[in-house]
Amino acid sequence: MSSASLNVEIRRIRELAPGIREFSLSRTDGEDFPVYSGGSHIVLSLPLGDRPHRNPYSLLGDPTVRDTWRVAVRKQEESRGGSRWLHEQAREGMRIDISAPVNLFPLIRTGRRHILVAGGIGITPILSQARELARLGADFEVHYAYRGPEYGVFSDELEALAPGRVHHYVQSRREQIEFGSLLAGRPLGTHFYICGPAGMVAASMNAGKSLGWPESHLHSEQFLAPTGGEPFDVKLALSGKAFTVPSDLSLLEAIEQQGVDAPYLCRGGACGQCELEVLGAEGELIHHDLYLSADERASGKKIMPCVSRLKGGCLTLNL
Amino acid sequence: MSTPAIKSQPVYAELEWDRAGTHHILFVAAEDAALAQRLLSNPPAGTITLIHLGSTSAEARSCWSQGLPDSALYLETHSLAEALEVLRDALYVAQMGTRIYLAGPEDAVWQASRVADGFGVGRDEVRYAQLGSKARPVFCVHCRTITRGVHTNIVSCSGCGRSLFVRDHFSRRLGAYMGFQIDAEVPGEVPAAEVVYP
Repeated sequence: MSSASLNVEIRRIRELAPGIREFSLSRTDGEDFPVYSGGSHIVLSLPLGDRPHRNPYSLLGDPTVRDTWRVAVRKQEESRGGSRWLHEQAREGMRIDISAPVNLFPLIRTGRRHILVAGGIGITPILSQARELARLGADFEVHYAYRGPEYGVFSDELEALAPGRVHHYVQSRREQIEFGSLLAGRPLGTHFYICGPAGMVAASMNAGKSLGWPESHLHSEQFLAPTGGEPFDVKLALSGKAFTVPSDLSLLEAIEQQGVDAPYLCRGGACGQCELEVLGAEGELIHHDLYLSADERASGKKIMPCVSRLKGGCLTLNL
Repeated sequence: MSTPAIKSQPVYAELEWDRAGTHHILFVAAEDAALAQRLLSNPPAGTITLIHLGSTSAEARSCWSQGLPDSALYLETHSLAEALEVLRDALYVAQMGTRIYLAGPEDAVWQASRVADGFGVGRDEVRYAQLGSKARPVFCVHCRTITRGVHTNIVSCSGCGRSLFVRDHFSRRLGAYMGFQIDAEVPGEVPAAEVVYP
């Protein structure tokens, strides 16, 4: 375990839309939750048989509400079990462990204007950011894109937070965010935040860069789910373990199953905390993360075990 | 490039255009014909606004006004206060995509940097160059007055009169070097000041 965990009870489950559920959580020890900042996420530990399964979800509620935390979960079609468990097995009254909040998607408080963009379930961190900006009295606007009218699940909460400053884009009505025009002509000191599908995030970043936006003003968050893949062998040089990573476990999960304590934070390829040093790789490193630079990937010396794998023979790690 | 004696002391890279920008605001508070020629002979795409702090005497046109592209806006000012006010106006109407270049003595450069900070610009939108006088602005840790134009390693604080030793420790927020009383242990024992910041 990397961060302190809290035991919580699922107090309430709401069906928000087909395939989207909201969970309200309260601590089982009756204490208040800590305060968190807009954009934070927690990692849920889900009881999927004998193997550890931990998924990150953004906190979407009001950070000043200390007795209840809320997360929303979309059922992933390619789920390895986490989101499926939350949709099919989870019941009100069940207890699970969660991590303390971590923020990899914080607001930049020196900004003069903030443009928030959400695609689908990407609304969850955007919602807590919007709450924080509203509380600060900051200048902000929200652009919310979703598949069909029934999927705009947090529209009412957003409208209440930022009346007249929420723009809706409904895909079934062929409405689409035009990032070139959204980002053009913005005053100096504007910050842009996006959470959504990979293609949408990439389109917005490219539009920003071609308009001369510097990287320090373009913020995005994406969590990747480990995809699984072909099995491969691993040797841990320091702990002396040798084992095979099966096709349905991530490298990080397989290491944890061996009882070896490996660092992690987001478990979604975003934060860089779980980085491990590669001592040898018989085969090709398959990098899926959003963290390592092109140079670091090319060096073949680093791997993010939460989402990345080896294709081929044996991987030796300095762990 | 100078070698810093201490981590907080700014290091100034050779000034180059950031060609990812779509508008360029150049704030220059010193003459440097070679730099002006190098930058202006190879201007970036996009528009240029040049804010120049000239001397009060009616000397010949600044090297910075020569070789400017026709589309550039040239704004001549005659005091630092006026130059900072013009910079503030330029930033007020500036849009994302703007890059800011601050060139001149450190006192002017870092006062301009504070103006830019007020508009929420990031470190990757501003470039700095030290030109002209090496005189230091010195912040007195005792009375919090900033004494400007200090050429010597020891200076009498313009606020409280204490003899201050001028350190290399620099505050970007204050735009000044740290000065502290040199004779605090043995009052009156003040070494002779030497000119070290010409």
